[in-house]
Amino acid sequence: MFHVLIISLPYLLKGAVVTVWLSLATISLGTLLGFALGTAGAVGPRPLRAAVTAYVFVLRGVPILVVMFLGYYVFPALGYRVDAYVAVGAAMVVYVGAFVSEIVRGAILAVPSGQIAAARSLGMRRGPMLREIVFPQAFRMAIPPLLNTALTTIKQTSYVSVVGAWELSYAAREVVERTLAAFEIFLGVMVLYFIICYPLSVAARHLERRYAFAS
Amino acid sequence: MIAVKGLRKSFGPLTVLDGISFAVAAGEVVVVLGPSGSGKSTMLRCINFLEPYDEGEIRIEGELVGYREAGNGKRTPRPEGEIARFREQVGMVFQSFNLFPHRSAVENVMMGPVHVRGISRKAARETAAGLLAKVGLAEKMDEYPARLSGGQQQRVAIARALAMQPKVMLFDEVTSSLDPELVGEVLLVMRRLAQEGMTMIVVTHEIAFARDVADRIIFMDKGTIVEEGDPREVLLNPRSERLRGFVRRFTGALPES
Repeated sequence: MFHVLIISLPYLLKGAVVTVWLSLATISLGTLLGFALGTAGAVGPRPLRAAVTAYVFVLRGVPILVVMFLGYYVFPALGYRVDAYVAVGAAMVVYVGAFVSEIVRGAILAVPSGQIAAARSLGMRRGPMLREIVFPQAFRMAIPPLLNTALTTIKQTSYVSVVGAWELSYAAREVVERTLAAFEIFLGVMVLYFIICYPLSVAARHLERRYAFAS
Repeated sequence: MIAVKGLRKSFGPLTVLDGISFAVAAGEVVVVLGPSGSGKSTMLRCINFLEPYDEGEIRIEGELVGYREAGNGKRTPRPEGEIARFREQVGMVFQSFNLFPHRSAVENVMMGPVHVRGISRKAARETAAGLLAKVGLAEKMDEYPARLSGGQQQRVAIARALAMQPKVMLFDEVTSSLDPELVGEVLLVMRRLAQEGMTMIVVTHEIAFARDVADRIIFMDKGTIVEEGDPREVLLNPRSERLRGFVRRFTGALPES
């Protein structure tokens, strides 16, 4: 019954590999950016904090698809020829960075101020205080929402197909166009996405339980 | 050793400290009593400059706390590094303990010596173990705060502050969050500390402790010092009506000495 799906599987798997690479790249770069911005937004000088707040505010109010389109067209508009993946990848990194930034900033600020007072009254300077007291606890708090963001990002890679970059969703629509076996193909693609997300989902559930216990 | 003169502080329109002046000699135990909102905690936090103050001066061993005076009477805030170094000499224990939950008891006590003074972990651990033994928690040294009772956590907090070998210890209502059965163990540690000659400023509601351990009692209300003097005199013969009312409320629970 799933004859068409089975025949198309090699092609779809190639798409899945692209999806995985795209996800890994955008999640890792976006998380790095988000950590830098989030830390700056929490403990940096006031103008820097304001800039980060504005950045996050803007990006949270825009759909990722629109940001991808902008990313796709901004380079030619400036006169540069850039690979499609680089363009949409950059757009995704900017977008994911904003969300990770908010998570990191929130986690840092959520460390109880009483502990800051205690650290200061011991004579601790800012650097050791952030390193020993704030960041370890903030990081622990940030992991569940960060994993959720990573999961969301994997799924958001499907949007790049709308802009014209080839990955699993694009491949799926090509196959459907050719074979008209829409339900079968998309069912198979759904399973593929689920498999890609599975490790993170398991890790997220595992860590949610562990974090809940610790607090 | 500590001299406070004309201390004033406001939070916006609210004046919390309205001209406080008092002195604490080395080795003295001063207990500060007063109703909520009288400014006791704020005053304490000004002494180690966790809060800046607007007017007046706080001097510890002659040094002005938190500010540097320019010749013409004006003053500028000291840089953060100087203030941090000054705070090494003033230990503080908080009502909500404020232990670092992701570190064990001994690691909490080691935090100051290792990350402020740069002492080796091995040496710091030995000293910390000794301090924890001193407050009666030797067997709990590798436990995490979540597994300790309130009284035990507070005793770890005291050990943590003592690890920096401060000249003064400030106690901010350290037993107010504790179950009554756990209050005694903390007060015992504080009493022993007093007997060893530590200079202490204790904000508390424990009137019996004030009567038995304090060298002097200060009664604050609405940001000013209303009465000051020998514990027994002040508590048995309060001169001001406000203090009389305050003591009367607590006298019922006052155990006989």
